[in-house]
Amino acid sequence: MNDLVQVVWSGILSGSVYGLMAIGLTLIWGAVRLLNLAHGSLYVAGAYAGWTVINVAGLPLALAIPSAVLAAAALGLVMHALFLRPMLGRPGWDSASIIATVGIGIALQAAALLMFGPRVKQIPAVAPGSFVVGTVRFSYQGLVVIAVAVVALTLLYLFLRSSRQGMAIRAVSQEMDASALMGVPVERTYALVMMISAGLAGLAGVLLSSIFFLSPTSGFTPMIIALLVTIFGGLGSVKGTIVAAYLIGFFEAAVQVFVGPRFALPGLFLFMIAVLIVRPNGLYGVPEAQRL
Amino acid sequence: MTTTPNRPTTQIDERAAPWRKPKWGAVVFLTIVALLMPWVLLQFGGGSFVVHMLIMFFLWSIVAQSWNLVLGVSGIYSFAQLALFAVGGWTTGVLSMSLGWNPWLSLAVAPVAATVAAIVIGLPSLRLRGVYVVLLTLAFHELLRNYAINGPEIISGGGYGLIGVPRLPTGGLFDGNHILLSYYSGLVVFIIATWAIWRIFHSPIGVAFAALRDSEGYAIGRGINQFRIKLFLFGFSAFFTGLAGGMMTHYLGSVSPSIFAFSVLINVLAMIVIGGWGSFGGPILGAALLLGLQEALRDLSDYRTLGIGLALALMAVVAPQGVWPLLRDRVARFLAEDEPKKSAGDVAGEEPENEGATDRSGSSAGGGVVESTPGH
Amino acid sequence: MILEVNGLEAGYGVSTVLHGIDLAVQEGEGVVVLGPNGHGKTTLLRTISGLNRPRAGSLRFDGVDVTGWRADQIAEAGLVHIPQGDLLFREMTVEDNLLMGAYVKPTWGERQERLARVYELLPTLKDRRKQLANSLSGGERRMVAIGRGLMAEARLLMVDEPSLGLAPVIIAQVYERIQAIKESGLAVLLADENADHIEQLADRVVLLESGLFVREGPAETLLADEALLSAYLG
Repeated sequence: MNDLVQVVWSGILSGSVYGLMAIGLTLIWGAVRLLNLAHGSLYVAGAYAGWTVINVAGLPLALAIPSAVLAAAALGLVMHALFLRPMLGRPGWDSASIIATVGIGIALQAAALLMFGPRVKQIPAVAPGSFVVGTVRFSYQGLVVIAVAVVALTLLYLFLRSSRQGMAIRAVSQEMDASALMGVPVERTYALVMMISAGLAGLAGVLLSSIFFLSPTSGFTPMIIALLVTIFGGLGSVKGTIVAAYLIGFFEAAVQVFVGPRFALPGLFLFMIAVLIVRPNGLYGVPEAQRL
Repeated sequence: MTTTPNRPTTQIDERAAPWRKPKWGAVVFLTIVALLMPWVLLQFGGGSFVVHMLIMFFLWSIVAQSWNLVLGVSGIYSFAQLALFAVGGWTTGVLSMSLGWNPWLSLAVAPVAATVAAIVIGLPSLRLRGVYVVLLTLAFHELLRNYAINGPEIISGGGYGLIGVPRLPTGGLFDGNHILLSYYSGLVVFIIATWAIWRIFHSPIGVAFAALRDSEGYAIGRGINQFRIKLFLFGFSAFFTGLAGGMMTHYLGSVSPSIFAFSVLINVLAMIVIGGWGSFGGPILGAALLLGLQEALRDLSDYRTLGIGLALALMAVVAPQGVWPLLRDRVARFLAEDEPKKSAGDVAGEEPENEGATDRSGSSAGGGVVESTPGH
Repeated sequence: MILEVNGLEAGYGVSTVLHGIDLAVQEGEGVVVLGPNGHGKTTLLRTISGLNRPRAGSLRFDGVDVTGWRADQIAEAGLVHIPQGDLLFREMTVEDNLLMGAYVKPTWGERQERLARVYELLPTLKDRRKQLANSLSGGERRMVAIGRGLMAEARLLMVDEPSLGLAPVIIAQVYERIQAIKESGLAVLLADENADHIEQLADRVVLLESGLFVREGPAETLLADEALLSAYLG
């Protein structure tokens, strides 16, 4: 029983954070067909921005979260303006964009190393302390993380569903020419998607770095899991991504509790391969042929 | 993509078959230089460092060339290349160090292990779309990294990797100088790998892939089953990468999880991208450039990674074809005789295809003689 | 003059498709560009609406020089282009597709009223409003495309081959709708492969061949000339 509670708790906690990370990846993929391998570095950038606000500027924690989001979003915008925009629509976009994001990712990581050093840091919790039920320890910070993630995901969902800009984002990812004919400024919409995506990565970074440690390379594993989630949910599908984030969160928690923490990543990996063999387009994915 | 249809001759047209006769002078010259280089260098102080750099160049350019074959030519967005390199390195390391095998024997197992690993990753992933391959290969990389750090003591060395791996026995050659042995064995493997990759580049497979690289949809539309070819190329590139990894382990006498660092991965990727993505000579040139740069900027280590990252992104935006096209003609002119009867109308941009060419020139030390598959 | 095209040239890659087109559409006028497939009708419309960049020539829309503007800027100026193949947002509902038609700022505020008006005009869409666009039949899709166009504050409506891929019964309905739009006073520029359905709609007809206008004249005269039509359209 306690084990089960532990699984549910960890599953919801990691699922929420994976959702934040993965939604950004899936939005970008949907809109521009860009696999953003700098996503993990944007996560790190957000976390360091939050850390700086608290430890260098001495501002309260409540300001750290919005600063993290803004800093990451600004980086996303710069990334779009300097690197992605000039490449849009060129032949060889697939490979060139992957290379560019790998390069940006490593450059950001190196910049973080230069600015903050290799030693791990931790962001203080918004709500320190915890309570125990049975043998399971629930941290208040975990609850905050879940709450923030769920609110952010809900807002994003509503934004995409019914706001003018949100609908434009969906429209651009489905039919670029028609969107332009409706009056949607396509490139500016891409920039917006990039900022939202990066901002969500930054949010995940600042939230998670109060639970785990922060180092210049600590964005890599969350990015890998977010990629798993994105693909598992069907690339480009927002609903699928959210469902997949929690499923993978639970799966990971279950493996950790019942098999052992060391097996979480290999387990996920094998699970992923199995899923892809059975459903090559993920849970909610549309076959690419139909998309074309 | 085959021979020009409006030329019905059955004889091979010298212009349509653009493999050129190598300048034997150049080949002999390069061979002699490559053979004598270490003997000469070792006479000078600091010369052994140059020999060391040349060994690094041989091994890393093998990795870069193999990865380029996967990434640039067949459009498999694999990031598993260093993991495969590590598989080779660890295989021979564990066999020779912990199990006491003869290093030559264990080194022979390294490429096989890497190939098997590649096939294991390739079977489920290469049927899938490009992005899945990125994920699965990155995940494989991450898994192996974890295993190399947290795995059983015999593999992880408690997180430090394997230290004190035996060198390759010289068997009395080179006065027992293992650096010279590494140099010559590296040179031989470099030549074989380069030659084999050159052959693939100019085979129908290579030419077809160069054409299809950016249009998976087109290939599917044409009913081309890329899967087997991709799997072959993936395994092939793993073979030489694993071999290079094994040789590196014995040369350095150790193998550690730092091989999985993202900065190493990015270094090799930069060799390909800066040299010339998808082109034959690009990765070789890139390996030389990057290794040189790395040495020149040794003091700036963290700034170096920052610079390489930015350079990668900038190259992708500004010059996706890399540096190689700037040098290609000059290298070709040095190594090969001028094309016979080249008409004035033949501009450099439209070099003809190379398939089916009987290769008479691939054994030259400088690698390929002509390059006709432009990067994009 | 709502639209003035002068010496327009356009193409893809190394090939030129349009070799200098001159065209003018008056307020409230119905102009039909006739021509066989592959002779540049779609390219012409796409270049006018800004999806393709003109290589030479000029475009004036509603008195403003719009040469070189992006498609979204031209759309904002009031040019509505119903493209070939509809280009619906496939994974959005019918209603969301229609709402996207009102994306431009001032119209967005009136989207509910406009939606009601479109539903009135095309009642079948109302029944399907919660369905995803990719679950519709060809005729329904065309209606969504037209309805989406009607959501905007149009000064000129361009339609590219409205009959393409539809069953004969439905084709008649589609032309009826376009006819009604034109009668409401909106200028219409339509590209078509044959002259079967355009009699009511066309005030003026132009024949396009190999990227050039080869004939131009009032609809009555040109459409009456059967020999001419069959020579050009086959």
